[in-house]
Amino acid sequence: MMLAAIIVFTIAYVLIASERVNRVAAALGGAGVILAIGVLGTDDAFFSPETGIDWNVIFLLFGMMVIVGVLRQTGVFEYVAIWAAKRAGGRPFRVMTLLCLITAVASAGLDNVTTVLLIAPVTLLVCERIGVRPVPFLIAEALASNIGGTATLVGDPPNLIVASRSGLTFNDFLVNLAPIVFVMLVVFVGLSRFLFRKDFTADPDQVAEVMKLDEREAIQDHSLLVRSLVVLAMVLLAFTLHGVLGLEPSVVALLGAGTLIAISGLRPQSYLVDIEWETLLFFAGLFLLVGSLVKTGVIDHLASALIAATGNSLPVAMMLLLWGSALLSAIVDNIPFVATMAPVVDQLVGGQGPLAGQNGLWWALLLGADLGGNATAIGASANVVVTGIAKRSGHPISFWEFTRYGSVVALVTVAIATPYLLLRYS
Amino acid sequence: MLAGEIAEPYPVVGVDTSALVAARLLASQRLPGLVVTDLDGSPKAVLPASEVVRFLVPDYVQADPTLAGVIGEDAADRIASRLGRATVGELLPLRAVEVPVLKAEDTVLELAAVMARLRSPLCAVVDDGTIVGVVTASHLLELMCGDPVP
Repeated sequence: MMLAAIIVFTIAYVLIASERVNRVAAALGGAGVILAIGVLGTDDAFFSPETGIDWNVIFLLFGMMVIVGVLRQTGVFEYVAIWAAKRAGGRPFRVMTLLCLITAVASAGLDNVTTVLLIAPVTLLVCERIGVRPVPFLIAEALASNIGGTATLVGDPPNLIVASRSGLTFNDFLVNLAPIVFVMLVVFVGLSRFLFRKDFTADPDQVAEVMKLDEREAIQDHSLLVRSLVVLAMVLLAFTLHGVLGLEPSVVALLGAGTLIAISGLRPQSYLVDIEWETLLFFAGLFLLVGSLVKTGVIDHLASALIAATGNSLPVAMMLLLWGSALLSAIVDNIPFVATMAPVVDQLVGGQGPLAGQNGLWWALLLGADLGGNATAIGASANVVVTGIAKRSGHPISFWEFTRYGSVVALVTVAIATPYLLLRYS
Repeated sequence: MLAGEIAEPYPVVGVDTSALVAARLLASQRLPGLVVTDLDGSPKAVLPASEVVRFLVPDYVQADPTLAGVIGEDAADRIASRLGRATVGELLPLRAVEVPVLKAEDTVLELAAVMARLRSPLCAVVDDGTIVGVVTASHLLELMCGDPVP
């Protein structure tokens, strides 16, 4: 059974990584084979926290997608972005800085793809107004989105997977990842000034055009905006009060989504269109593929191999995870990678593991996987979405143009994570 | 009744015609679309008026309609100037689509079938490779459903 599980997992993983077939088809196809040949039974697949579908992740994603689906209809993102561009006086570098900071903060609370989908059209509008090439702005926003998303439990799908597997709370993420992400963002802004230095020349006459934009027109429904922001604030508060309330993030997200649906009065079609069913199905298939490795003992072997390679040394294990994850995430989707590695790390830091209680390994895995995705145009979903938007708007971004900037940012941010992990956790 | 018998003279533009000229032609005669010919004069595509309107709207507004209100009225002139820099060929879809063309001896029902399948507001009628006229959807409806209500 172990060999069968490895073969099916490897084939599915290669298909997902090579993008030769749709990733949902590959994940669900592999999961189907795993179930059909009896590696996993129905109890293993649907009811086991170790080997089955992680419903916490699925429903947390679902709940947040519904909340975003309602929130985006208020026009609040457009309002904030245009307000920021006006506050920057239309000066290109200031505009880029503020748009990147908005993107990073929004990505910490929402998923990265949604954030760049919302910010990119506004960016194109502002860049057209001030007469600058939008490409550097779009690239910088994708990079900022991946950095910002690293900061919280709900910011990036790998974080959700780790949170569910490890039991780490929303506050754990805030305390351990948010501070270093803040430092990275400050460095990133300075780095952007250097990387895109040739792209900040605007026509002074055109700069005034930005000031003519009326951000108040973006707000479609003031009442819905207020109600949505109140619910979002309550959801974020409930995340942070996990220890007091005892509610799992998935339950909080579902309660928030349900409340928002009830009080918004919107038709289901309007917010259900934002549910990424493909992503949810992909996760379900992926969890079963990884579950087959857990059940057949492959994960135990991987954990032992990792310990042997690092000589039971926490600093070495953290560096291996950090840089290994960053390298792999630059070329393949970080979601399947983290889904596979999460049970491995769980073996190491769990109650009986050789590095029991050393949560630094979780942060090393996430910092590597989340930040490594910045290195190439295909390293993270936000990058792919931004290059697609740029192409449709007549400003194509080549793979190498993105990678030229992204690889520098990935290298610098992972380098910043290195002393942070070593000093704080070893 | 055959397509050749009901085809009417209709403005035709080439792929190299200015998009602004095409837009003014559509506007002045309130046409639902134009037949576009290739450089050799053969039918290449039907350009619905809605596609020209679509070209006028910046991509970022199509992606996020909320931004239409933010931009304001004074930007309309600048947006319209995009047409002056483009040709009709640039307004056509990048991917080749089937052209609604029928022969003069084809029937009215065949005309209706082609328009319905391609969701086209008009259909070119050719004889020996030359466009002899065009049948619009409204003309076809008039023929199929009887005279207009007085």
